[in-house]
Amino acid sequence: MTLDTPVVLTDLAIAAAILPLLSFLVTGLFAKPGKGAFLAILTIAISFILSAIVFSQTWNRLDIHQQYVWFTIGNTSFYAGILLNNLGSLMLLLVSGIALLVHIYSTAYMKGDAYLHRYWAHLSLFCFSMLSMVIADNLLLIYIFWELVGFSSYLLIGFWFTRDAAVQANKKAFIVNRIGDLGILSGLMIVFTQFGTFDLQQLLGENGLIINAFVQNGEWINGVHTMPAVWLTVAGLGFVLGAIAKSAQFPLHVWLPDAMEGPTAVSSLIHAATMVAAGIFLLARLFPLFNDTVLLVIAITGTLTALMAATIALVQNDIKKVLAYSTISQLGFMMLAIGIGQYSAAIFHLTTHAFFKCLLFLSAGAVIHEMHHVKQVAPVDFDHQDIRNMGGLRKHMPVTFIAMLVASLALIGIPLTSGYLSKDAILISSFEWAALRGSWSKIIPVTALITSWLTAFYTARLFFKVFLGKNRWRILSPEGHIHEAPPAMRYPLVILALCSTFLIFSVNPLLYEDAWLLRGFPAVESLERINIIHTVIPALVNLLAILIIYFAWQQYARRDKTIFTNRGFFYDFAFNKWYIDNLYQAAIIKRVLNLAAFVRGFDRVIVDGMVHLLAKVGQALATLSAWLDTYIVDGLVNGVGILSKSIGNFARNMQTGKLQHYLLITLFIVITFFIVTYFSLAI
Amino acid sequence: MILSVLTFLPLLSALLIVLLPTAWQQRYKYITLLTTLVQVIISIYIYLNFADNQAGVTREQGFQFVEHRSWIGLDLGSLGRLQIDYFMGLDGLSMPFMLLTSVIMFVAALSSWEITRNLKGYFALFLLLDTAVIGVFGALDFFLFYIFYELMLLPLYFLIGMWGGVRREYAAIKFFLYTLFGSVFMLLVMIGLYFSVNDPVTGNHTFNILQMMNPNNYTDGALFSQIANQQLFGIPARLLAFIILFIAFAIKVPIVPLHTWLPDAHVEAPTPVSIILAGILLKVGGYGIMRICFGIFPDAAIHSAWWLGLIGVVSILYGALNALAQTDLKRLIAYSSVSHMGFVLLGVASVTAEGASGAMMQMVSHGFLSAMLFFLVGVLYNRVHNREIANFRGLALIMPQYTVFIMIAFFASLGLPGFSAFIAEVFSLIGAFNSQSINGLLPRWMAVGGSVGILLGAAYFLWTLQRMFFGQTRLWGGEEWRTQLTDVSVREKLALVPMAALALVLGVFPSLVFDKINTSVLEFVNHVLNK
Repeated sequence: MTLDTPVVLTDLAIAAAILPLLSFLVTGLFAKPGKGAFLAILTIAISFILSAIVFSQTWNRLDIHQQYVWFTIGNTSFYAGILLNNLGSLMLLLVSGIALLVHIYSTAYMKGDAYLHRYWAHLSLFCFSMLSMVIADNLLLIYIFWELVGFSSYLLIGFWFTRDAAVQANKKAFIVNRIGDLGILSGLMIVFTQFGTFDLQQLLGENGLIINAFVQNGEWINGVHTMPAVWLTVAGLGFVLGAIAKSAQFPLHVWLPDAMEGPTAVSSLIHAATMVAAGIFLLARLFPLFNDTVLLVIAITGTLTALMAATIALVQNDIKKVLAYSTISQLGFMMLAIGIGQYSAAIFHLTTHAFFKCLLFLSAGAVIHEMHHVKQVAPVDFDHQDIRNMGGLRKHMPVTFIAMLVASLALIGIPLTSGYLSKDAILISSFEWAALRGSWSKIIPVTALITSWLTAFYTARLFFKVFLGKNRWRILSPEGHIHEAPPAMRYPLVILALCSTFLIFSVNPLLYEDAWLLRGFPAVESLERINIIHTVIPALVNLLAILIIYFAWQQYARRDKTIFTNRGFFYDFAFNKWYIDNLYQAAIIKRVLNLAAFVRGFDRVIVDGMVHLLAKVGQALATLSAWLDTYIVDGLVNGVGILSKSIGNFARNMQTGKLQHYLLITLFIVITFFIVTYFSLAI
Repeated sequence: MILSVLTFLPLLSALLIVLLPTAWQQRYKYITLLTTLVQVIISIYIYLNFADNQAGVTREQGFQFVEHRSWIGLDLGSLGRLQIDYFMGLDGLSMPFMLLTSVIMFVAALSSWEITRNLKGYFALFLLLDTAVIGVFGALDFFLFYIFYELMLLPLYFLIGMWGGVRREYAAIKFFLYTLFGSVFMLLVMIGLYFSVNDPVTGNHTFNILQMMNPNNYTDGALFSQIANQQLFGIPARLLAFIILFIAFAIKVPIVPLHTWLPDAHVEAPTPVSIILAGILLKVGGYGIMRICFGIFPDAAIHSAWWLGLIGVVSILYGALNALAQTDLKRLIAYSSVSHMGFVLLGVASVTAEGASGAMMQMVSHGFLSAMLFFLVGVLYNRVHNREIANFRGLALIMPQYTVFIMIAFFASLGLPGFSAFIAEVFSLIGAFNSQSINGLLPRWMAVGGSVGILLGAAYFLWTLQRMFFGQTRLWGGEEWRTQLTDVSVREKLALVPMAALALVLGVFPSLVFDKINTSVLEFVNHVLNK
């Protein structure tokens, strides 16, 4: 048996995806409280090994596609299958790799939780959904696993289900994602109606249906099927809406910061390679479907989101919230890359970001873990996730410190890190893209540039406040001691730190174009290489970034007080997250609930009222007919009775028994007879 | 023969229960349970032996397990011979409902343990209802169909009116009158059809539904002849007849605005009757629309498709919004039924293979899921006699297994992939969207509008989960409730597990349903589109 035959490879990929499901089922159905770790880690480890084999055998080779009939409706068969190409197998490797590290980390982080078996079961389900999604070969399957990813994140975000905030957060996450799902569903319906299939290869492969379909005279034409061209845009926007929800882009990003209520290990998984990556992955998969309008929408959304999230991250004090907004911001960069036609750059940034964001969260988790212990022995209650209560952790947690340092540098995009390469790819491409377009399009790269400086500032602020400066927690908890993270948490940090450097991506630490990963994807829109941009932009970005970091160091590490006053319109605007949540609460949620209450009243008073009215009318009619019956109909009957009775009485009264009476009557009749006869003759 | 056994077995059991002395009343439920179990076995046998390559729908040859005997043959002199047949048979449109009915009846029987008063009457009526429902799905003679259809009303009226909640009499009479209102006019149409249609073999007028589907069997100039195109009250007679039949079945479905009997009936009905109502009775409406309305009056159906689609979308959204505002858990689920059944109407109105298959799947899926939901509400209500959402909080801590079942039922109902409702709703919507391109019946916005119902579904189910099951435990009834709220028992699990499993299995392997119905659905679509 050789490994590189398509059948074997697809079987391996299926096994890699299914194994976590097995863990979910076994753990979910049979595990005792507190158990399940071994099976979950074992299955994800095997998944990772299988993914590595699959990846090594499929990267930069022909696509492998294997499918089976799932069910048939009418004359159309729907298939379930596996599509292994560069994108799929890269994601498979990335997801299983990050997930494995998070699993190992979780053994220490989640230790002692009462519902640990549920944690492992849900984590396995999450991995199953995500792994299956990236190798699914058709839109229907992608949609199915897409929703399952949402569902498992619902379970994980609400893992501590007795906390109200957690339960509200997971509800919010699911419902906001459902909005995106509607977009995808609309996209699915349009694609199916136009092409009659969900198969990715048939739709998007070389000579695929979507590529061959064209727009003419306002009609979108595919052979005999036509549709108004606007539906092409709607389909694209539908999928984008899905991606916006899942990848937490403006205006549907609101669920992600709230999702921090889940365990930190889960946050790191959601933010790194799974869940939020799904949106970017989907857009990359469906790239040929998008027309210029849709791409522009993607680019603008991405840029706006990147800027918005960065400004909000500047003023947040919860360590996880800062990281959450930085994720949103970085995802905005990826969206931007897709919007300008460089989905290779988006995937590259997705990969590098997966490592350093996972590292950031796991480091933050280690810090939170220790701060939690400190809080437990503290005489006063304080927020153990608030960076204002941290400080000076460098000496106590040296490994975490170095890990976080590497991750932060990668997030800012300092040379020698992986983040430098991928962020440069996006920034430079966006300038080249704008160079081909009108002057207004410069807004996009310039905004991205500003955002990357903001990134430098908030990252530096976070890092310095946590690890340098005074031990502010000592004041709150004099008895508290902070230790380095236990080995199960430490080793994943070290591995991730290594992966956050340029080493595994490129031999040249300064030139992103040499990255092997980037070359794995075709350049969709060939941009003219403008050499000057390739030197000026990185230099400009980094020079200013270093100045900003120095400034942040002065503000947050050296002094107790900063020059910032935490007041004013911009501060409030950023601190209140651009008032978007408030807007939704007032403009949408309240209105929908009011509408529901109104509909309920309408149902009760009007609709049911009509029924009751009908019943009342029926009753009134019945009363009326009862009256008629008694007095008219029955009256008639009784009247007849009375009449006959009186006639009878009349006749009876004649029977007097007196001869004179009889003779008188006889005479009367005879006279009458003669009168009648006489007059009738006369006539 | 097997179909008759399936139909009349419950009737025999009902007779047995009537004849047995009351001293044995504790055994009635076992007799009922056994009867329904036998029915499940027979239905599974039918399912397994059902050939999926025969269409049925319009031709008797395509039907399976057919029993066709002359029943009432009365010489009426100049009016010809009254020909009423005992004509039963199954095709892809009816077979799934046999299995559904049997399983739901089994679950309802398990749930009947809660009944304590007048057991003889209860179980006799229960089994009578069973016969009527199976008969409705099997009958292919309109007269026979009508008898079974009306026969369903009687036991239901008493089951709600005698074993129901506080306002049971109000609910029962409302339900009864509502449904009767529809079926009285159906009787008129049925008689009109009878005098319009001739059996091509015997030359007599006939009640045979299949022969009513063939335009060639109509007498020249008959009231409902397609060619004659007669008018009644200024409306084409066939359209009027279609509308009357549609209203009769739509009340059962129910559609907005003919739905208000449903929440009242559900809230007042005892749990097993709620299960039967939601699980089966609503499907009689959907089935009748497909078999009778669309089958006999395809031209009128095409003519009205736009309106039917609109009613479907309105039902989806209106039901969902109403569910969002309810404070009683059972009422919430009742309104969610209205919303979910809207997908059936939308799918059928699209007259596409995808839409009709989706609608069929939705009926089967909703059958299991709504039964499961009502069963679960019953579990809670039995323990503390309260269903107000606001009175419960953090149930997950004290009833973990119950919460798992609730989550399965809720998520399956809100269309989580992997469960049957997902496939059903997606294909109902795809069919509705596709319709514009294939036959031009429904505009595309209807599908998009209907999909908003999926979003609202997530909202009301998740909100309920959050309010009732998560958070710290806090109960209106305090410590007393805490001791009463025990986790699900073995008997309850016995009822819940099959339904959860079926919803899951049909979601993962929808071909279990689609393969059996596909030929019939295609034939149905072609028949309605007159291809």
